[in-house]
Formats: sequence, structure tokens, C-alpha cells
Amino acid sequence: MEEGLRIGVFVCHCGTNIAGFLDAAAVAQYAATLPDVVFTKENLYSCSETGTREIKEAIKEQRLNRVVLAACTPRTHEPTFRAACREAGVNPYYFEFVNIREQCSWVHMKQREEATEKAKELVRMGVARARLLEPRDVIVADVNPTALVVGAGISGLRCANALGSSGFKVTVVEREDEPGGMLRRLYKLAPEGVDARSVVDRAVNDVKANPNVELLTSAMLKEARGYIGNYDVVISADGSDVKRNVGVIVLATGAEALAPQQGQFGYDGKRVITQLELEGRLRDGSLAVADVVMIQCVGARCEERPYCSRICCMSAIKNALLIRQMRPESRVSILYRDLQCYGVEREEYLRKAKEMGVRFVSYSPDSPPQVGGCSVRVYHQLFGREVELPADLVVLSTPLVPRHDAEVLSKMLKVPLDEEKFFLEAHVKLRPVDFATDGIFVCGTAHFPADTGESISQALGAASRASIPLRNLKVSVEPITSCLVDEEACRGCGCCAYLCPYAAIEMVETDKGRKAHVIEVACKGCGVCASTCYRRALRMNHFTDEQYSALIAAALEREEGSSG
Amino acid sequence: MQYPPDMRVIRTMCAGRIDPFMIMEAFVRGADGVFTAGCLPGECHYTGGNFQADLRVKVLRKVLENAGLSSDRLVFRWMSSAEGAKFVSYVTEFIGKIKELGPLGQAEGTRDGRLQVKLLAAKNAVEGRKLRWVLGKQTQFETEGNVYGEVFTPHELERMYAEIVMDECAIQEILLLLKEETLSVPEVAEKVGISPPRALRHLANMRKMGMVALDKVEGRTPRWKAVEA
Repeated sequence: MEEGLRIGVFVCHCGTNIAGFLDAAAVAQYAATLPDVVFTKENLYSCSETGTREIKEAIKEQRLNRVVLAACTPRTHEPTFRAACREAGVNPYYFEFVNIREQCSWVHMKQREEATEKAKELVRMGVARARLLEPRDVIVADVNPTALVVGAGISGLRCANALGSSGFKVTVVEREDEPGGMLRRLYKLAPEGVDARSVVDRAVNDVKANPNVELLTSAMLKEARGYIGNYDVVISADGSDVKRNVGVIVLATGAEALAPQQGQFGYDGKRVITQLELEGRLRDGSLAVADVVMIQCVGARCEERPYCSRICCMSAIKNALLIRQMRPESRVSILYRDLQCYGVEREEYLRKAKEMGVRFVSYSPDSPPQVGGCSVRVYHQLFGREVELPADLVVLSTPLVPRHDAEVLSKMLKVPLDEEKFFLEAHVKLRPVDFATDGIFVCGTAHFPADTGESISQALGAASRASIPLRNLKVSVEPITSCLVDEEACRGCGCCAYLCPYAAIEMVETDKGRKAHVIEVACKGCGVCASTCYRRALRMNHFTDEQYSALIAAALEREEGSSG
Repeated sequence: MQYPPDMRVIRTMCAGRIDPFMIMEAFVRGADGVFTAGCLPGECHYTGGNFQADLRVKVLRKVLENAGLSSDRLVFRWMSSAEGAKFVSYVTEFIGKIKELGPLGQAEGTRDGRLQVKLLAAKNAVEGRKLRWVLGKQTQFETEGNVYGEVFTPHELERMYAEIVMDECAIQEILLLLKEETLSVPEVAEKVGISPPRALRHLANMRKMGMVALDKVEGRTPRWKAVEA
């Protein structure tokens, strides 16, 4: 049986960061006057070994059951102090962090009195919230150690194989009747010169030989419901529905090469073709020309599509070299704006291409090349005059663009797309192959234009990330989640489910009618649902309406006799 | 980076957690200004909470104007957590503006006994179902439309909110007044600052909803009272 509230308030000096700009002792003394505060202490550095030990000892000796720390920002040390509370026997969610540094001492450095008054009020607010905090336990859910990979291009295949080899059952869904994706349409890969087909065939064979991987071709993902550890997916294959329950989903749906508009640079698919179409002709041996002019950045790095597609320069140089090797009498020119040949091998490749007689002409987007009947005219930036290049064949390097149906998957799985409609990762540096929604991952050109090596790296990265929950067989989630506290009041309007960014609320039929149901393990605790609900049926745990009312009241409390 | 110490910060994990009632409660309790902020468009760490905060604040600014306060007392600003200087600049600007406006109602000339009633009524209105439901549905109405597929234009939304804010705040104010004393229609109209026909319309609706009832008739004048909850 719990005693009454016993709140401990710790005021950190943070060396001179706080104590140098406000009167920390006065703040602690003030805190001691607040109702339910039974103990106060100043720490020099709360986050140090000494500091956390002092807090833990105080908790035990003073039988504290709520802890308020006035110090820096929770972004630095909230986990540290929550852990300290837990170790001292106090539920970590009984801990309240008040910022009197970044939001007080550091920004009011020349106003010591005002900063001290503000710190006192902030502590009063923190104590008001602490009175209303509730104990919470981490939420744990089971994970089905199986995976779904959407797309059987090189990324999907390599990812599936890696997961399968780690011991997890994988289902791969491929919409075409043959797996392999874009690589099946390419001839050779630069700079190594390996045959694209052989690379992807090996990947296909590995997957087919892997007993843990099930490959469904002529199949599409139709429906996906659920959350990390427990996705129910429906795949339509050959006219019938295949159902699977998986723990994670990996998107490896690839990209498309932009088709130039009819007439753009004279595009006709015969004499003026794309780089991808050239690959096809190189592969089937139907290339029979002598003079080739390639134009880079067609439909890329422009207002409509400001990005660089990263791989077209190397593709063009590779194909130019191949043509020069096949027909040494040919004249091959590459008209470029800038050349993407980073690193050691690519730079070396560029040098080799120049040595092998591939001609490089720089052009400005202000004066693009003019494609004529049998030649291309272009203003050569470095010569400072126009040149005319003979051209039996003109090859346009167009960028990789997202698949036209990326939005379908985006809506189905509630994963975001960026401005260019490529899939958007959780964080560009810290979580490059995760989505913000737990349990879903992305790799390959569906994410951004990448070459084969990069796609495979991403695929293996996604497999590695996806395998974490699969191997742990459990996911644990911070218990700051939404909760339907008043089922009677809920009228099933669905606003909450509609606005939830994580598909963490679903509308279910009950014997009392349609009601909201929170999938705790998917909830990220943003609070939009609770602040929307017109019936006040949803509650945001750990950030409740009552706590906010208490914070506001404490902030605006007027002391007796002060000016109002 | 320094800014004036006149502000107290209340943390939410996402601007989307800012419930309209919180903002009104702050004004009811005497805040002279409320500053809210969220991530830049497209960068919300929780995908879209900042858009919800923005649309709520837009409506709350109408609520403030309706109560006789300058909508400048409530702002929503977009910024990235990396833009410390922007925060400092916005906050300094806002505090300056509030100091210019003075305590609630001073610059607006509405600093009288009625202001508190209007503010409390406004808070009750934003805790009420009608406003909350429309706010909750706005995003859907603007994109996919209602159940008939009718998509609302910004103009239609503006007009709709203008009406709803006026009506809901008036209803809540009438209720608060009638809890204190019984009143006739002209008295209600005068105290709330609306026309008698409008006051009568509200009272008729409120009676249907069981919020008010006829107390007695004095001569030929009906007097109204609030119904005990």
C-alpha cells in the first residue's frame, strides 16, 4: 500500500552552466516549500557517477516515490535518470525532468534574478506534473520470425537470401513472371565489366535453392494489416489469394527509367534512344552503328526533377567504352554537365575511357544540345564555341524515377514518400533503411537511384535491421501510448484512426458498435488522437490532459501580493 | 542566443498533442499570450502532427477574436529543432508584441468583467463536441472529402468555422450566464452582445438539447435558466 506522495526535487548546478547564471540554492529552497515535496538537494553534476548515486541514495533513505530533477534537457539524460530511479526501486515513469539550462540559465545569462524566478516556476510546474504521473511498464509483443520481401530484383533477392540464411522463413513477392528486375535488362555492369544477367541469375539461384525462401512470381501484395511482429498480408497470385502472417516487411520494389517525352531531343526509340534501350541492343548484338553521341542529364537536374540520378554517368561511360571496344573505328562522344565518377575505381574508369578515345564535351543547361538528322550540335563550354558531332545514334541518359505505383504501397503500409516520390527513410543518417513505422524496411532503387553494389549493401543492411526483431522474437515499446479509456463514449467516428500516422488505431466492430482499438505496440505516443477525439474517449498515457492542466495552472499561479 | 525571460515552456512530444483546450485554459488562467511551435512542413517527426496543430491554432485565433481579444496573442510557428536562432527570433518578437498589447484585453479595450466569462465560454466551446469533431475531420474534408466525396475548399472551411465559433461560443456564454441568474431574451442578447433573434435561436436550440429551460414568465417576458447537469 503506497504512502502519500513523497516528492524529491534535485537541482543540478551543472558546474557553472546553471549555478553560474541563477541561484540554484534559492531554487532548491523554494522547491522545499511546495506541497508534497519532502526532500530537496543540489547536485554539482547530477549525471555523474556521484550525482546519480546521490539521487539513488536519497530515494532509498527518504523513501521518495516521485523524483523531479531540475537540470539540462531530457534529450541528454532522461534515460540515465529513469534507469537510476528504476535501480532505486522507483518506477522510471515517476521521474520528471525540468529544463533549467537550455531553456533558462543558458538563455538568460545576464538576468540572474529573472532566471532564478523562472527556474522556480518551472520547478513548481514540474512538481505539479509529478503529482499526476503514473507508473508504467514497458510493452512487449511477440514477433513471428518470418519476413515478407516485396520485389525480386537484385535487392529483394539478396535481402531475402540473407534473411533466409539467418534461419527465418521469407516470402518474396514479384509482380513479373520472372525474378531479376532491372538487371535482367542490362548488359554489363561498370566498372568491373561483369555480366548483369550472371549477377542476378546467381542471386535468383541462391534464393531458389534456399529452403527458407518462398518465391512467388506473377504475384502482387494486395493487402497488409497489422504491426511489427504480426502483419497479416494478402498476396494475389495467379488469380487466387495467398495469405501470410509475417513479422517484418521489406520493400525492394525498384525504380523505372524515365521515358523521354516523344520528340524530346528528337526521341523516337529508333535513332534517338535511351541508355536502357542501348543496353538491350548491346546485349542482343543488334547495335550496328559507328558514330554515337550520348546526352547526359536528360530530364534530370532540372526544375521538374532537381536530383542527380547518380548512376547514368557511369552507365554512359561503360557503354561508350563497350562501343569503342566493339568497333574501334566508331566515334563516341558524351555530352555532360558534370561527371559523377567518385572514388578510386570510377575515376580510373573515366581516365581509361578518355584514353580509349571516348570524347567528353561539357554543355550548359542554358544551351542544350540540338539533335539534327545525322549530327548533334552543341556549344562546347570549354572550347567556347559550337561543335557539330556526327551521330548515327543518339543515346539519352535519363534518370531513375520512382515506380508509378509507389503511392499504392505507401498508402497500404502507411509509409511516407519524399518530394520526389521515392520511399522516405526514418532518418537519412541514423536509420537509413528503416521506415518510421517499426517493422518495415526499404532497400535498393525504391529508396534512391543506386547502382548494383549500393543496392546490395542496402539489401544486406535491411536484412540485418529486419533480423533484430525476428531474432529477439519480441519487441518492446516505450509505454507512452494512447489508450481508449471510455469505450462507452467512443462513437466510432474514426477520426483518430484516420489521423494516426502509424496505423496504430483500428476501428473494430464490437457488440456495442464500432469502436476505436489502439494497437499499443505500434503506437509512437504522438498524442494527435487524444487531442482530436471529440468525445474525449482517448487518453495519452504519461502526457495526460490532467497533467497539462496542472502544468498550465502551475505556470500561471499568482503568489499572494504579486502584480497580476 | 538570449531571449527575454517572460515565457514558461510546456513540453509536448509533438505539436499535434496540443489540445485546443490547453491553449484556452492558459488564457482563462491569465496568460497574456500563448506561443506554440512545431516542425517545418514535411518534417514532422510524427509525420503530420504539425499540420493538426496549425489548423487548430488557426481556429483558436478566430475564437480569441470572437472573445474580443487580438488573435496576435496566439501564434503557431514552424521551425526545425536545429534552428535555435529562429526560435530566439520568433520568441523575442512574440514577447515584444505581447508587451505592446499589454495584459489581456488592454489594447483591445475589452479588459472588463465580461472578458473572463467570454474566455471561459470559449474554453468550454473548444471542449465541446461540435468544434472538436469538425477540427478532427478537417484534414479528411480537405483531401478526400466527406462521405459523399465532396471536398471542402479553404473558403468553405473559413465560412463554416466562422459560424461554428460564433454559435458555440455564444451558446457556452449563455449557459454560463444562466447558471448565475435567470435572464430574459433581451437581457441575454445585451450581455452576450448578439441580436435578440439570434439569442432566441440559441436558447431554443439549447432547450432542445436540454441545457436550458423556462424558469417562469414575468408579465409577458419569459425568463430562462440553466438546467442542473
